[in-house]
Amino acid sequence: MKSKIISIFVLLFISINLIFSQAKKPSIMIVPMDNWMQENGFMTKINSMGEEISYPDYRKATLENSDLINVISKVGELMSERGFPTKDLEASLKSIEAQQAEDAMLSSKSGAETSESPIDRLKKVAKADIWMQVNWKVITKGPKKKVDFTIRGIDAYTNNQVATSSGTGEFAMGVEPVELLREAILANLDLFNGQLLSHFDDMFENGRVISFRIKVWDDWDYDLETEEFGNEELGILIEDWMGDNTVNNKFSTVDATESMMFFDQVRIPLFNEKGRAIDARRWGNGLRKYLKTEFEIESKLMSQGLGQVQLILGSK
Amino acid sequence: MKISRKYYLSILILTFIICPLFNFGQMRNARKKADKDTRSWRYEIEGVSQGVQGTYLIKVWSFSKRNKVAIEQAKKNAVHGVIFRGYQGSTKGVRPQKPLTKESNLEQEKEMFFNEFFADGGKYMKFVSLTNNGAVSPGDRQKLGRFLAREHKIGIMVSVKKDLLRKDLEDAGIIRGLNSGF
Repeated sequence: MKSKIISIFVLLFISINLIFSQAKKPSIMIVPMDNWMQENGFMTKINSMGEEISYPDYRKATLENSDLINVISKVGELMSERGFPTKDLEASLKSIEAQQAEDAMLSSKSGAETSESPIDRLKKVAKADIWMQVNWKVITKGPKKKVDFTIRGIDAYTNNQVATSSGTGEFAMGVEPVELLREAILANLDLFNGQLLSHFDDMFENGRVISFRIKVWDDWDYDLETEEFGNEELGILIEDWMGDNTVNNKFSTVDATESMMFFDQVRIPLFNEKGRAIDARRWGNGLRKYLKTEFEIESKLMSQGLGQVQLILGSK
Repeated sequence: MKISRKYYLSILILTFIICPLFNFGQMRNARKKADKDTRSWRYEIEGVSQGVQGTYLIKVWSFSKRNKVAIEQAKKNAVHGVIFRGYQGSTKGVRPQKPLTKESNLEQEKEMFFNEFFADGGKYMKFVSLTNNGAVSPGDRQKLGRFLAREHKIGIMVSVKKDLLRKDLEDAGIIRGLNSGF
C-alpha cells in the first residue's frame, strides 16, 4: 500500500515537471508586407513632429481587400493544422480601436498627446513574437494569369528574418486569382515551415535570442561607470553576469555608455535551473535580483513580449 | 525407345507446377531487389503540379526487371522520397519541397519502425495512391541495359497524403513537429 502511494506521488511529480518544462510557444501574426500595402494604396501618412511618415493602414486593408482576408484565413488555417494557431489581425485592430477610444478620453482630460506609432500600437496589442509577412502580385498576360507569392517570417523583437519562401506559379487560363493564391500558399508554406522548424531547433540548442537594454534613472547617484560596487565598473560587472547567464556566453554588447548599455543577440536558456520555462522578463529578473542582493541596487524591470527587456537602475 | 503416354503426362504436370513456382520466385527476387533499391535511394522523384490540399502530386521513376514490380514499388518510393529525400521544383511553377526529416540517419536509427512501415502491404499504403489507375504514359516507360541485365525504368504519377503522413510520423515520435517542445 505504502509503495503504491509513493509510486503515485512519483508519477504525479514527473507529470507536473513535464507540464512545466514546456518552453513558451512563440505567437504568430499574419500581416501583409509594406510593399503590398504601398502598391494597393493602403499606406497612410502621419505627421510626427513636423515630419510626414508613411504607415500601413491595416484596418483599411482588411476592410477593403477580400483577397487579403482570404490569404490570412488560409495561412492561418494551415498553421493551425501544424499546431500553431495565429493571432487574428482584425481582432487585434479592433482592440486597438477600443484602446484608442479610451486613450482619447484620457488625453482629453490630461491634455497630453500620445506619441505611439500605429505599428507600435499593433505590436503592443498583438504581442506577436513572429510576424508572418505575405506579399503577392497577380501577373496578367492576355487571358492568362499567374501569381508571384512571398511569405517571410520576422522575429518581432530582433527584426531578424527567420524563414522565407517565394515563388511564381505557372500561367493559367480561366482560373480565378483567389484559386491561384490558394495554390501559391500551399506550394510555399511547407518550405516556410521547414525553415521555421530549423529556427526553433536552433532556439532549443542555442537558446532564445533576445535584446536587453540597461538604463539609469536621472536622479540616481551612481552610473554604469561607478566603481563603488566592486573592483570593476558596474557595467563590467553586469557584462560578467551576462556571460555567466547566457548560453555559451553568447551575447553582443552593441552600445555601452555611463547611462545606458544595449545588448543584442543575447542567447538566453529556455529553462531555468528548476526546469521551468523562462522568457526575457524572467531572465532579466535574475539580473535585477543579483544587483539587489549583491550591491543593494534597486531597479525596475520592463518587458515587451517574450524577447525584449529593459532594466532601469536606481529605483522601482 | 518408346516414351509412354504416362511419362508425357507426368512431364506436363511437373511443368505446370514448376513454372508458376519459378515465376513466383523470380517475382519475389524482383521485389526484394526493388526494396533494396528503395533503401539505397535508387529512384527518381519530381514534382508534377500542386496537388490538392494536404497532398503532393509527384512522378516517381522506379527501376525493375518486371513492369508490375516497378509500378508497385513506385508507391513505396514516393512515400520514402517524401520522408527522406524531398524533390526539386520544375520550370512549370512547381515549388521544390524539402523532406519531412532533415536527419540523414533517421532510417538507420529507427530501422525497426521503417522496416515494418515499408513492408509489403505496410502502413505506407495508407498515404499514397496511384493516379490514372497506375497507367503509364508511353514516354514514361524506358528500357535500360542489354540481355540479362535489361531492366525497366518506369515513371508513375502518384499522390502522397503528406499532411497525414507527417502527422502520423509526429504522433509516433519519429519526426519532430513544428510545435514540439512548446
